[in-house]
Amino acid sequence: MLEVNGLTKYYGDLCAVNDVGFRIDEGEFVTLLGPSGCGKTTLLHMIAGLREPTEGEVTLRSENVTNLPPEERNIGMAFQSTALFPHMTVRENIAYGLRMHGYDEEERHARVQEFLELVDLPNHDDHRPGELSGGQQQRVSLARALAYEPDILLLDEPLTGLDRVLREEMRQWLMTLQRELGVTSLYVTHDQEDALSMSDKVVVLDDGEIQQVDHPQAIYEQPVNDFVAEFVGKSMQFSGPIRNDGPRPFVDAGDTCVVLPNDSVSSDREEVSLYVRPEDVNIEAAQATADGGATTVAATEENAFPGTIEKVSNLGNRAEVTATLESGETALASTNRFPHLEVGDEVLVTFDSESVIVL
Amino acid sequence: MSVVVERSPVPSWLSDRITNRHLVAIGVGWVTFFFVFPVLFLVVESINFGDGHPLQAYQRAMGGVYLAAFVRSFLYGIVTTLVTLALAYALAYYLVFSSKRVRLLLTLVVVPLWIAYIIRYFGVLLFFSPTGPLAQSFGIETDLLFTTTAVIIGLANAYLPFAVLPIYNSLNAIHHETINASRTLGAGQLRTIYSVVLPLSMPGVVAAGVIVFILSAGSFLGPDILGGSGQSMIANEIARAFLEAFNIQLASALAVIYTILLIGFIAIFNAVFDLQEALGNL
Repeated sequence: MLEVNGLTKYYGDLCAVNDVGFRIDEGEFVTLLGPSGCGKTTLLHMIAGLREPTEGEVTLRSENVTNLPPEERNIGMAFQSTALFPHMTVRENIAYGLRMHGYDEEERHARVQEFLELVDLPNHDDHRPGELSGGQQQRVSLARALAYEPDILLLDEPLTGLDRVLREEMRQWLMTLQRELGVTSLYVTHDQEDALSMSDKVVVLDDGEIQQVDHPQAIYEQPVNDFVAEFVGKSMQFSGPIRNDGPRPFVDAGDTCVVLPNDSVSSDREEVSLYVRPEDVNIEAAQATADGGATTVAATEENAFPGTIEKVSNLGNRAEVTATLESGETALASTNRFPHLEVGDEVLVTFDSESVIVL
Repeated sequence: MSVVVERSPVPSWLSDRITNRHLVAIGVGWVTFFFVFPVLFLVVESINFGDGHPLQAYQRAMGGVYLAAFVRSFLYGIVTTLVTLALAYALAYYLVFSSKRVRLLLTLVVVPLWIAYIIRYFGVLLFFSPTGPLAQSFGIETDLLFTTTAVIIGLANAYLPFAVLPIYNSLNAIHHETINASRTLGAGQLRTIYSVVLPLSMPGVVAAGVIVFILSAGSFLGPDILGGSGQSMIANEIARAFLEAFNIQLASALAVIYTILLIGFIAIFNAVFDLQEALGNL
């Protein structure tokens, strides 16, 4: 459907996008995820034809469109700023793209009505964009981009300006709309929640280069490098050399030892980074022993570390608990709601060795 | 319990004595004293209290050379406005969308305003004169001097900065994504300029048009230096009546008529375009 090959963009000496290649199949929802300044907008603009690539090519429906201007590519695009024409009504905004694609007066009228209903704004055709709320404007902008049935829908952080509740609602709504129409979509965002919740496939970009391309679960559970592990989701981190001289492989992280999953095959002494997702970490109050020592239990279990509660953030449906381990690392755990833990409590931090991500 | 008092940047001993009404009074007072009163004084001066018809100066002012000068002023004003707007739009468009040296070029646009009009008109005069660079270096004899064309060129040249700045501002305020949106929706470059850029920059164009029209229709130096006897505009006729014929009654009547015409013109303009919006966006 869409294929990007070796796409590269230099601004002077500065390389904004470096040799990027990926493909999107018919009807897929793909997200381009990366921090701000990683080149994702430049990449999207090259796919849209708004910027010329220094090298590489863009193929849309097996036609090489690299040198075509945007108006000859049959794409639909939604922008962060909505980019609605402020001097036109909602109807005129949607009709604009239809007119450019050769729909006659009658078809335009019917299509505008159809798409306004699709985006739940059937009675707003005579409003100016300025009279609509942010969410409504974004919906009009989507209707405008979709009304003439583009080959692909490009979305440039369309939900970024919205507040959290509206954003979640719009995510659901956008996903439903996309599935309903079956339109191939490329969504650009720096928000991992957007990426993980909506996409069939996520392309993680950093420094103008692709870091990983995979489905959301794999991105979260099997990141391929430190950048992806740290950028997508939170985690607890260790690092140190691998040792194979125990019953199971473990990492010697300074004052602590972390036992690794059984299948982790790495050469001895190789320096690695370890990540454990907060959902896999368990924090519970340490049981005081007869002699008053709280740490005796720890020694007996693998991947069990004594520590002190640093912070408890109650998020309603769950809580995020931060603890400092005696060895100095910071542990982050996602717990059930309102845990009976307070700052300064002595705790025991545990996790299953199978949940450790080794990079 | 402590009461939070909202602090104003103005010290209280001052803000207690000076209200917003006082501030408005300064501006309104200035305009009243130096514009409204003098114009009313002109109205009084224009009426004949001696023998003959009280409005005899007006009867003279509405015919002959004076009528021609009125018509010429408005025509020259309109043509100069159109020429200036076209030039200013192209220049402002280039500044906003293509130039990498915006600051430098904007400065160059504004610099001529530091030079007296009379000098600039003399500059144009010299440029086109038989001893000027066009004739001397390139052998081009234009025969432009003391023609309508020369006057229009001079006026457009003098008032260009007043048109560039508002147009630049309104073009600059257009969000770049709006233009990108138009392109992705299937509109080519020209179509995008026509359907998106032009309408969105209208407030600046309207503001520029009003300013240039008022300035050029009332111009005195331009036609005086670059025009001949056939290019005499209303300001020249008023000056002549005042300074050469010492006919203060006639000069006053001409001035009053011109003021009323201009107010009427702006009123019509305001009914068509929303001036408040256009000038408010500057």
